[in-house]
Amino acid sequence: MEDKFDCIIIGGGIAGLSAAMTLARNNAKFLLIERGEFSGAKNVSGGVLWGEGLSKLVPEYWNDEDAGFERYINHRRLTFMDGDSTFSIDFKSESFNEQPYKGIIVLRSKFDNWLSEKVMEAIEESDYADESFLAPNILVEEVLMDGGKAVGIRAGEEKFYADSIIIAEGVNNLLTRQVGLQNKYVPADALAVGVKEIIRYDQKVLEDRFQLNGLSGMSNEFIGTATQGVEGGGFLYTNKDTISFGLVLSMISLRDSGLKPYDILNEFKAHPVLKDTLKGGEVIEYSAHAVSTGDMKVMPKEIYSDGVLVAGEAANLLMNSGKAIQGMDYAMHSGILAAETIVEAKTKKDFSAGTLKNYRTKLEDSFVLKDMKNFQGAVDFLHSKQMFQTVPGLVCDFGKQFFSIKNEPTPKTREMLSKSVKKHSSYWELLKLGLKGARSL
Amino acid sequence: MKKLSIAERLGKVTYLNQGKTEAKPHIIVDTDICNTECGHKATTRVCPANCYTLDDVGKVHFQFEDCIECGTCMYACDMNAVTWNYPDPETGRGVKWNFG
Repeated sequence: MEDKFDCIIIGGGIAGLSAAMTLARNNAKFLLIERGEFSGAKNVSGGVLWGEGLSKLVPEYWNDEDAGFERYINHRRLTFMDGDSTFSIDFKSESFNEQPYKGIIVLRSKFDNWLSEKVMEAIEESDYADESFLAPNILVEEVLMDGGKAVGIRAGEEKFYADSIIIAEGVNNLLTRQVGLQNKYVPADALAVGVKEIIRYDQKVLEDRFQLNGLSGMSNEFIGTATQGVEGGGFLYTNKDTISFGLVLSMISLRDSGLKPYDILNEFKAHPVLKDTLKGGEVIEYSAHAVSTGDMKVMPKEIYSDGVLVAGEAANLLMNSGKAIQGMDYAMHSGILAAETIVEAKTKKDFSAGTLKNYRTKLEDSFVLKDMKNFQGAVDFLHSKQMFQTVPGLVCDFGKQFFSIKNEPTPKTREMLSKSVKKHSSYWELLKLGLKGARSL
Repeated sequence: MKKLSIAERLGKVTYLNQGKTEAKPHIIVDTDICNTECGHKATTRVCPANCYTLDDVGKVHFQFEDCIECGTCMYACDMNAVTWNYPDPETGRGVKWNFG
C-alpha cells in the first residue's frame, strides 16, 4: 500500500460502496476505509432503499441467492392516528411485483455487508485486483491537506495518500467539517433523531399478519399521536422474519416537549390499534441515529473542493417529501456520480476544484438535487403542526363518525366532515393548508 | 408487547470492547458548562441511550459507555460543552449493529 491511490473513500456505507463499485469498474486504484468491523456494522436506517438504482449498480441483484435485502415493496400504507383510532390510505399492486423492484427493505448490517462483497468481486475483475482495497475496522481521524488541497488521510499513526478523497462518512460529518466544507457546529434545527426496534416474529405469523407472499413486503408510515405531539412520524417495515419499527423525531421539537424518545416509542407501541398489530413480537435490537430532515439549509456550504468530494448523507442528501423517506437512493447515486467525476479527473490528470465541480453539476442534473429543490415546500409542509397534529386528528374523528352506524337518523357525510373540521381546525385553515400542500407536491 | 425500560432496550445492543475495563471515551462533556451556563439541558432529554442524566439536585452527569453513536447530542448541545468523536475501533466503546 505504499503507492499513491487514485482515490481514498472514507466510509463503506451505501454512498462509499457505490463509489467504490464505480471506481473498480472504471479501473481506478482506490482504498476504501470503513470504521466498522465490516460494512454495515455501524449503520442504521429506517429502511427502504427506494427506486431502481440498485439494479443498475448490481444488475439482476434479485437473482443472488442471498441478495442482502429483506423484502421488496408491493404494499404501501399511510396511517393517520389519534389516541384510539387509525385511518389508513392503503395501496397494494401486483404490478409492483415486477423486477426491477420499486423499493426494497433493507437491514444495513446485512445489506451493506453484501454490497461490499459485490465490490470485492468488482475489484477482483479490475486492473488493480491486488492494489485496490476495502479496509474495515479503521477510523480515519483526519483528511491531510497540502496548500488547501486534500492529499490523503491519517488513521492513528498511519498516513495514506491519494489524488482525490471521497468523504462518505454519514450524517455526523466530522471530516466534512474538518476540511471546511461544513461549519464546525451544525445546529439541531434541520435534524431529527430516529429511534428503532427490530421486533422478531415467527416468519409464518409475520407473513399472515401482513399478507406477505414470498419476498413481498409492506411499508407503513404513521402521522399523528405516534409522536405524542412531537414533530415527526412513525414507520413500520416488514423484514423477512422481523419488522423495523420506530419513530423519526425533530430534535428541536423533542427538546421542547420534555419527552424522551424511548418513552414516546413505548407509547406508540402501546397504542390500542398498534398493540394488536405488534402482538407477540420480541424486541431483538434497539438502535438510534441522527438524520437530516431534508431541509437543504443543513447541507454543506459546498460538496467539492480541491481534491475532495462529499457524498451521501455526509452531504445531507436526504428527503421526506411525504411520498417516501429517501436517503439511501440519494447516497447510491451521489456515490456513483462522485466516482464518475474522479474517473474523468484521472483522465484529465486534474483533481482541482475546477474539474471536481462537475460533481455538483451532475448532481444538480440528477433526480437527487432536482427533487430536493422541487420538494423543499413539501418538506416544510410536512413539518407544520397542522400536518402532524390537526390533520390526523380530523381524519380519525371523521372516520369515527363515518364508519359508525347508530340506528338513528344519519347525518350526510358533508355534515360529518364539517363537524370534524370545526372540532380540529377551520375551513379557512384547511383551505390554506390544502393550497400549500397542493403547491408543494 | 410489554413496555421496555431504557435499560432493557440497551440490553439488546451489542457493544464493542465490553470486556475492557478501561475503554477510551469518544465523547467528552464539559458538564461544568451544562451545570452553570446551560438553561435547557437538552441532552438529558433527547439522548436515546440516556447517557446524559440529571441527579436529584438537577446536575447533569454523562457516561459514554451506553452511547450508541447516534450523534444527537452533538447537535442538541449549542453551548459547546460536547466534544464528539467516533470511538476508536481498538480501544473505544461503541456499537456493532446486528441488524441496523
